[in-house]
Amino acid sequence: MAAALPLGWRHFEPLDTLGAAGRDFPRGRISEVIGARSSGRTRVLHALLAASTGQGEFAALVDTRAAFDACSAAAAGVELSKLVWIRCSGNAEHALRAADLLIQAGGFGVVALDLAEVAPAALNRIPPTAWFRFRRALEATPTILTVIADYPLAKSCSAMTVKLPPRRAVFTGHAPFLLLRDAS
Amino acid sequence: MFACIHGPDAASLADSFSPFIEMVDQQTAVFSITSRQLGRLKSIRSAVAATVEAAILAARNLPGYTFIAPGEEARVLGALLIDALPPDPELFETFDLWGIKSLSDLARLPENDLAARLGERGLFLQRLARGALSRPLRPLIPASVYEEFADLEHPIKLREPLLFLIARFLHDLTARLKSQSLAAAALYLTLNGNQRRHSLPFPTRDVKLLLKLVEHSLERQPPEAPVAKVRLELIPTQPRRIQHGLFTPAGPEPEKLELTLGKIRGLVGEKNVGYPELFDTHRPGSGRPIGELLPFRYFRPPLEARITATRLWTRMFQGQILQIGGPWRSSGDWWNPDQWNRDEYDLALSDGALYRIYLDRAPDKWFVEGVYD
Repeated sequence: MAAALPLGWRHFEPLDTLGAAGRDFPRGRISEVIGARSSGRTRVLHALLAASTGQGEFAALVDTRAAFDACSAAAAGVELSKLVWIRCSGNAEHALRAADLLIQAGGFGVVALDLAEVAPAALNRIPPTAWFRFRRALEATPTILTVIADYPLAKSCSAMTVKLPPRRAVFTGHAPFLLLRDAS
Repeated sequence: MFACIHGPDAASLADSFSPFIEMVDQQTAVFSITSRQLGRLKSIRSAVAATVEAAILAARNLPGYTFIAPGEEARVLGALLIDALPPDPELFETFDLWGIKSLSDLARLPENDLAARLGERGLFLQRLARGALSRPLRPLIPASVYEEFADLEHPIKLREPLLFLIARFLHDLTARLKSQSLAAAALYLTLNGNQRRHSLPFPTRDVKLLLKLVEHSLERQPPEAPVAKVRLELIPTQPRRIQHGLFTPAGPEPEKLELTLGKIRGLVGEKNVGYPELFDTHRPGSGRPIGELLPFRYFRPPLEARITATRLWTRMFQGQILQIGGPWRSSGDWWNPDQWNRDEYDLALSDGALYRIYLDRAPDKWFVEGVYD
């Protein structure tokens, strides 16, 4: 059973049924999760990784900017021992190559390519053929390649694009004693 | 037949009879013996019997030389006190209550009733008392070194011929490992005196995989000079045994994954590939989560910031502060150079994002640690 998403995200039903049918984040395809800072990209990523590792699958995260927070991921239910974490020191080219190698190796339930916060100049240098190559390599595999980015990158190669709208901070209490609760 | 010598120099005496000795303890050695060798034993405190355990019991508890003919074990050992058996306080108390004083008393008890009352352990002790417990000898075999060495007349300058030589070594060494039902746990390659250590994530005898790992290592870090001396050592261990489940999702093949990660390590660096682990600490970002946490993304390294009551500036972004929560003070590891002492704030900025900023109290500087996402 895939991990349920935290309260406030119930409207985002597809993720809840990720593992059961594989129809929401389609297996063997590229999916994109795009949005601005604090739009919930990381929440979706954690939910996806939690659902995959919770089923006993292995997952891989290619973390271009080394932004991954293991603490909040563990709190979201990600089994860290089933997650291969690759940090690319901001080098998008290395990130793409690493993702390519992981897809070729096979056996992963999810390969997440985190390109969020990467400079547009570096992203613009990614040739469109790279996405076609990924799409071809993923065919007939059970792997979900998820790209986390500020704006769409894989374009027509992506089978599903999740666009996340900006969210508003929810503080409780009275100034100056405010407590950040969530974003909605 | 098995012989057992009991005495202070049991090991050296036993060594003069057989190369395959089982040392039961510091003073007791057991080995296999032929009838021709029996004469030499008569001057030593020893025992000869058809089973290992009977020989051990007799040598430890009977004086001088004892020969137990096959089928006579129960009669010879029967005179021994029950304390001659391996100690088991609970069962010995029961034996005491039953009035069992000697091994012959225990040997006479009906097997089924004994098993019903004392279980498997009781049955084991009765078989020992009857001298009927048969087990193979477990000789001490010295650990083999799986190593190949070449001192070359003409140093190798190119990678290909070096790999050819290493492949030959690997074929020989893995064949030796296979003959002993072992696999390699680590590979130590020494080129011109410089050792490279490769710990394998799983035991293997796959020459192709080991050769690929060496190849990746040589690609990443080529030898500094032409290679004149090559030494290859495989560290042996028990082979991997996996029970696959019908309903367990298939994971990456370990051999393939190790090669893939080897390639990625060459690309992004050794320290940037692994799996995340949380520590038993309160250090921000390293400790285990307590309760529910908002998903977070780090800026690594943290962005230095300038802050006023209404605005925040960094080299990546700036904006007006809409709401701010905090401070949350935390400090720790004050006895270490990498101590932390800071005040954290949660900040909603006019760009629509939620940031975690902190005032590092040691240099008194502001940083943006990351963004809630």
